[in-house]
Amino acid sequence: MTTLFENLTSGSMVFLIRQTLIYAVPLMIVALAGIYAERSGIINLALEGIMIFGAFIGVLFVRLVQQWGWFEAVYQAKNWVALQGFVLLTMLVAAILGAVFSMLLGFAAINLKADQTIGGTALNLMAPALVLFLVRIIANQNTLQMFSGDSASWFMLKKSTFGIGRTQDVGFFFDTFVNKVYPATYVCIIIFVVMSIILYKTRFGLRLRSCGENPQAADSLGINVFAMRYAGVGISGALAGVGGFVYALTTTNCTANGDVAGFGFLALAVMIFGNWKPLSVAGAALLFGMFKCIAASYGSLYLINGAGQQIYFLKELNINTNFYRLLPYLITLIVLAFTSKNSRAPKAEGIPYDKGSR
Amino acid sequence: MNDVPQYVIEMLHITKEFPGIKANDDITLQLKKGEIHALLGENGAGKSTLMSVLFGLYQPEEGIIKKDGQEVKINNPNDATALHIGMVHQHFKLIDVFTVLDNIILGAEDVAPLGFLKRKEARRKVLELSQRYGLKVDIDAKVEDITVGMQQRVEILKMLYRENEVLIFDEPTAVLTPQEIDELMQIMRGLAAEGKSILFITHKLNEIMAVSDRVTVLRKGRYVGTVNTADTTKAELSSMMVGRPVQLVVEKEPATPGKDVLKVENLCVPSKLYKRDAVHNVSFTARAGEILCIAGIDGNGQTDLVYAITGLEHPTSGKITLMDKEISRASVKQRSNAGMSHIPEDRHKHGLILDFSLEQNMVLQRFQEKQFQNSGFIRFGKVRAYAEDLIEQFDVRSGQGAETIARSMSGGNQQKAIVARELDRDKPLVVAVQPTRGLDVGAIEYIHGQLVSQRDAGKAVLLVSLELDEVMNLSDRILVMYEGEIVGEFDPKNITVEELGLYMAGAKRQEVAEQ
Amino acid sequence: MKKTSFFQKAGTRSVLASVISILFGLAAGSLLVFIVGIFNPRMTPKNIWEGIQLIFGGLFSTGRSETGLLTFGFNPTNIGNMLFRATPLVLTGLSVAVAFKTGLFNIGAPGQYLAGTAATLFIALGIPSSEMIIPGIAPTGIPPMVVWVLAFLGGMLAGALWGAIPGLLKSLLNINEVLACIMTNWIAANLVTWAFDVSNLKNIMEGTKTGYIYKTTVNGVATPKLGLDKLFPGSQVNGGIIIAAILAVIVYIILTRTTFGYQLKACGSNRFAARYAGIKDKRNIVLSMAIAGALAGAAGSLYYLSGNTEFFWSTYQQLPAAGFNGIPVALLASNHPIGVVFTGMFMSMLDICGLQLTNLTTYNEYITDVIIAVIVYLSAFSLLIKTWLSGRKKKKDTVPEAAPVAQTGEETLSGDSAPEGSPADIPETPTTEEAIPDAAVQDEPAQDPVQEALIEEEAKTE
Repeated sequence: MTTLFENLTSGSMVFLIRQTLIYAVPLMIVALAGIYAERSGIINLALEGIMIFGAFIGVLFVRLVQQWGWFEAVYQAKNWVALQGFVLLTMLVAAILGAVFSMLLGFAAINLKADQTIGGTALNLMAPALVLFLVRIIANQNTLQMFSGDSASWFMLKKSTFGIGRTQDVGFFFDTFVNKVYPATYVCIIIFVVMSIILYKTRFGLRLRSCGENPQAADSLGINVFAMRYAGVGISGALAGVGGFVYALTTTNCTANGDVAGFGFLALAVMIFGNWKPLSVAGAALLFGMFKCIAASYGSLYLINGAGQQIYFLKELNINTNFYRLLPYLITLIVLAFTSKNSRAPKAEGIPYDKGSR
Repeated sequence: MNDVPQYVIEMLHITKEFPGIKANDDITLQLKKGEIHALLGENGAGKSTLMSVLFGLYQPEEGIIKKDGQEVKINNPNDATALHIGMVHQHFKLIDVFTVLDNIILGAEDVAPLGFLKRKEARRKVLELSQRYGLKVDIDAKVEDITVGMQQRVEILKMLYRENEVLIFDEPTAVLTPQEIDELMQIMRGLAAEGKSILFITHKLNEIMAVSDRVTVLRKGRYVGTVNTADTTKAELSSMMVGRPVQLVVEKEPATPGKDVLKVENLCVPSKLYKRDAVHNVSFTARAGEILCIAGIDGNGQTDLVYAITGLEHPTSGKITLMDKEISRASVKQRSNAGMSHIPEDRHKHGLILDFSLEQNMVLQRFQEKQFQNSGFIRFGKVRAYAEDLIEQFDVRSGQGAETIARSMSGGNQQKAIVARELDRDKPLVVAVQPTRGLDVGAIEYIHGQLVSQRDAGKAVLLVSLELDEVMNLSDRILVMYEGEIVGEFDPKNITVEELGLYMAGAKRQEVAEQ
Repeated sequence: MKKTSFFQKAGTRSVLASVISILFGLAAGSLLVFIVGIFNPRMTPKNIWEGIQLIFGGLFSTGRSETGLLTFGFNPTNIGNMLFRATPLVLTGLSVAVAFKTGLFNIGAPGQYLAGTAATLFIALGIPSSEMIIPGIAPTGIPPMVVWVLAFLGGMLAGALWGAIPGLLKSLLNINEVLACIMTNWIAANLVTWAFDVSNLKNIMEGTKTGYIYKTTVNGVATPKLGLDKLFPGSQVNGGIIIAAILAVIVYIILTRTTFGYQLKACGSNRFAARYAGIKDKRNIVLSMAIAGALAGAAGSLYYLSGNTEFFWSTYQQLPAAGFNGIPVALLASNHPIGVVFTGMFMSMLDICGLQLTNLTTYNEYITDVIIAVIVYLSAFSLLIKTWLSGRKKKKDTVPEAAPVAQTGEETLSGDSAPEGSPADIPETPTTEEAIPDAAVQDEPAQDPVQEALIEEEAKTE
């Protein structure tokens, strides 16, 4: 056993954990976005679109700030704390504009009592169209990139960030959780924990959840259902916006091209699989993150055998790449097949609240 | 004490109009401090509208509301709560997945800085109230897991937690067993003795006589009068309520039961919510020429039993025979063909397709019959003619005749359309589930008459009803269902309502003789 | 009985609501063009004006004159291309519309479209006809037309099978069809990529193009032009649009004239009542999705059978827009099969406008997608627009049935969300004038809808 573990750690374990986190965290936070909307009673099918929009806004903001030269000196000075501040600021901007974008859904679903599925679909069509339209005009190509440098050189923590030599051994923990990671990932985890606590432990959370279960009851107790639903959708938009930007930052080298590879929809599946509960959702996100990670990099995962050779065990199975690519979606379907009987959606989700109908 | 006004609440000359109708027309209601005041009226008399005005859900066009002699404006439930007016709604306003505690504090939460809930303090306060008023609740249980009776106590605790002085109970006994009703009456008396003023909305005369001090009667949106309970009788109240002497007894000849039409043997149906059976080991026979009634409190397995008989749900075990043909696993259609028609419990969920026209609804089961289709193409002319015939025959009223969209029809006429469709199919078994729910006296009498004439025509009528009056008046034989089992079989002539209530509540049961 | 006025007719209102959605969509597109133009220093007011002109009139654009001004006029090439591009849109629109009628939201059209495309191409290129010209594959005696028919039917069948999957998951396991469709879309995208990746159909004859599959013309297979190319010279138009229109008429007849259509609509409007009446709702859900899938499959099939289109096979990162655009096509037509033919053409006209924009200005074709998204957004509350048009307070009535989707999802949706008809609905009811009849006339069963609506409200016990 010891040898296997050692084999794993010295093999791709570090890479696998690091990479899984990178995929799992955006899923997690976007699934939480879904929870906030649905627990307030609004089906947010637009998560994908909001992510796309958030990614675009984040990348655009980074690009503009670089263009204005605000952080140039800081970058030259390798002041990584300040650079992380830059990331935080960008996340804030993505959150705000994500929330603003989601208001389109809120207005249609809450005030106009429109069909929420169609409203969400509209946003999902709108986001890539708008983003591509603007990207083409801004960048004259289909992908918006950073103004200078790349995501890793600006925003990733590395051994060199702390003045540690490239070849120096830093131990399993440091190597996995500090080296070559984006602190934004941890910020997302903190946001996830805080927002989960708010949902369950505060007056606001209690009231928000009541609107997704029985808005008539909430209304009779003097709770403003419309306001709560707007709050739910707005928070949902903010979280999805952040998720979109963090996805772009960590997996696509801080670029935006009107696509997040179905992550928003996967997040919806994660939310259902996690039964609309944050803790279960976190677990589900890790599972899905791992499959996504395997799909993306199965070819470079290896074990080290007794002779010290690297064994690319998945690559050697010689299965077509497309199999690994479709695996997350297939597994989602299978998981939904097994869990949908027991899953329990918020009772009032999807139903417009009409004050008149008691 | 002279400056303490006599009335806590006065609703003076309230008029509330909806497009085309005055739901409340110049109604006055005065509630004394510490009294139990009943508000009596039949369905549609305007009771709920009046209470919604008091609770701030509707704004009246005319009239004023006074609290403790001062005129007040109640624009929303928050205003009502601020005036210490609370309401137990007919359909409880509870969040199923929340705990009892969370339900009680919701909307009136005490919070620490940053909005964190102070659940510990709240728990202490709720426990104290629960002891003081004898309202036993399981504070950490989820509402979906507790009994209806306890849910009602949670609703009452919600009002007490908000320190309400005026408590409105909207049809509180509809879902309770007779024993739970007694308990509720006890609680209400206790509350009144503590100085709370209670408005009690009902159309059940027995309860009014048992618990109230005074009664205000409404009819068709108008104020009829207010009387002291002690000075009146049930008969007087009922004629005040309906506006004419009410024929409470349905005229019918004694039944002459014929052959067995429906035979149910050892039927079990699983519950969707719980591990146990919803229907357990039920056996009975319905015979031609009789009305067999299944009585019981709502939620004791009647719905599941009907679903199993009509094919909407599958039983786990047992045997159902219709006209000597086993139909235990048959589809809805096969059962229908074997001789069953079904007036469903929920006319919007099952009975009608609301977005279809009346004529389309009339052939809901029959569109595939040769007379209505020709190699897969609908024969529209025949459908129209058939629908118009039924409309004429059963006096179904609607805006555009056969073309009317079902949604736009009134509830009574929707129900008549369903009755017309089902009875015209002329099947030996008629399953009728709460066929008069939510209808006014006229429509109720009409439907009762139709069911009796079906019986006289030699059909077997299986009637499921929650209304004890209906059970006693209409049936030739009564089966009582409690927790999924048949706990007694009676001839309505040989049993009193009170005794029936004991069986319905599970306090008594008889071993049903083997058929 | 009073005659319903023009504006109260349901049909009129639907059309008007669609026109309003379209105008808003175009206006939003113009606004975007305007805003971008204002903030972009490289653009002049002339650019902005040209952009807006092309959004509205791109179909009639004939390029630029020698002086650099935009010229407009009858452009048969554009119109022919519009008809060509409308073919898949009409069919995916029909696909979405059929599913909507059964209460299902078929967002799986892209996957079904891909399934149809793949099956069609494999058949059209895999069965060598007498005109096969890929080196190394010998021509056979099979006439190309036979291959065409097989390929088209194969495409429809593949689409049907792929559409049936979410249908089965929905009816047997109660998985929300929207999620199932989204997952099957991506699975289809990967499977199709996989299948072509290992196939020998990749175009290697024309070395300059990588990532494309052979045109079906290499096997002599192409949809007949039926003379349309003479009518619209220089365009890609072919008989596909006529096939699409015929399919629309067939779908219309099935939905409105047959017992099968009656069953589908019954399941869509109220699944529980359908079950109560002995209609097999589960079977109908699967059938409806299969038909929807077949239509989306036909869309992909006809598009790539045209002979002059090439399929980019490495599609795993991108789903075909034609699939998603079936949604606005259907919504804009209020799910009316014949209406879909026209809205499909409108959408393809927008496409043409977008292309003109890319070709002639510094703007690009994605503005089309923005306009489409705005139109979908507006159709989410098209019922509200219709209500507003009818000028009556029908809000309470119409809202709960906002769209068929709302009625299928959860059990809770169909229960108490349907309030009683409000009096505004039936002005002809004979007894409205005596709103509160005196107690004396109560021998008759109640006739007053308002009174009973109130009764209902009080007596609701679910």
